Amino acid sequence: MKQRIKGLHLEPLWWGLFSAGGVCFAVLVPSVVLVFGLLWPLGVVDVSFTTLQSWYQSLWGLVFTAVVISLPAFHAAHRIRHGLHDMKIGYGGSTTAFVCYGSAMVVTALGVIAWWSA
Amino acid sequence: MTQPRTCYVDISRYDPERGDQYPTMQRVQVPYDDSTSVLDVLQYVKEQVDSSLSYRWSCRMAICGSCGVMVNGIPKLGCKDFVRDYVAHKGVGRDHAANDAPALTIEPLAHFTGERDLVVNMDEFLTHLEAVKPYIIDPASRPNNPSAATHSQTPAQLARYQQFANCINCGLCYAACPQFGLNPEFVGPAAIALAHRYNLDSRDHGKHERMQVLNTHDGVWSCTFVGFCSDVCPKGVDPAAAVNQGKVESAKSMLIQLFKGSSIGDSRS
Repeated sequence: MKQRIKGLHLEPLWWGLFSAGGVCFAVLVPSVVLVFGLLWPLGVVDVSFTTLQSWYQSLWGLVFTAVVISLPAFHAAHRIRHGLHDMKIGYGGSTTAFVCYGSAMVVTALGVIAWWSA
Repeated sequence: MTQPRTCYVDISRYDPERGDQYPTMQRVQVPYDDSTSVLDVLQYVKEQVDSSLSYRWSCRMAICGSCGVMVNGIPKLGCKDFVRDYVAHKGVGRDHAANDAPALTIEPLAHFTGERDLVVNMDEFLTHLEAVKPYIIDPASRPNNPSAATHSQTPAQLARYQQFANCINCGLCYAACPQFGLNPEFVGPAAIALAHRYNLDSRDHGKHERMQVLNTHDGVWSCTFVGFCSDVCPKGVDPAAAVNQGKVESAKSMLIQLFKGSSIGDSRS
């Protein structure tokens, strides 16, 4: 076991979530904003609330939570943590990692709870 | 004959043997034309103004990588950077000297320890370069095994790493990298680009040795993808791309270790 974890650290995990979140931020979040923030209120697309609710209650709702809420949250958390590092805030310590990724985990948990109780 | 155009240049001077505590700026008036490089300016100053000025240079054609300096705060090769660009940028008329603000400020490379004037201690970069073993590692190569065949390589295999092979070890990317400025233990752009270059080489078998260095916090993971290293590279190497491709390789290497259960040094990836 010692050999297995020798020299390993969590940075690749955070970076992996950051990369995946970056793709979601760039591709999915703008389209969600376009559809639900602009086209729907303007009446360009017509989605019934009940259709939307039944869709959200399915497994697709959980996928939506992951790619539109959770991964972008981890992306933002990673950026903020490294931004703080650049400003020498919490330099070298794990406090900023705890706060940033912890916040992303809380956001993720809230998303899952919202989906579960929907 | 018209009078040559002139401009003012501030040059950072520092000589600890003379008792200098801090670097100071020396302002000099220098002649220039369209072909005057920053290195030409330094040579003019050394020959005509102050022979005590120290700086490194050799080839004058952007291949030796010796003459790296900060020009107006940006890392540049002295021989590949021209006075005309700075004077033109300032929008001043033909005789820049009429306005005695300096057109150029020349300082030693940032993030390195200054030794004297524009000379810095490059060992701080060379230690990192040495650590990543930037040479072909092949236990079955000819010196060890005289009966081995010579290496052959297809153009496609060459193309995989060729871009990263253009590094001239000038250190401009280290002067540009804010992460190296914060943490001098960071292996840094050029060394990681060269590690990546050898990892991508079909003749090489030393990737597992280099990954031990790249996988650490001070390896690829100190990079926050600022990208200024690639902006300042005088040879178009794009070290930022190498570092971030290195992150993918490092993540793979660590995942393989986690599943195989052997330390990074033992696992051949």
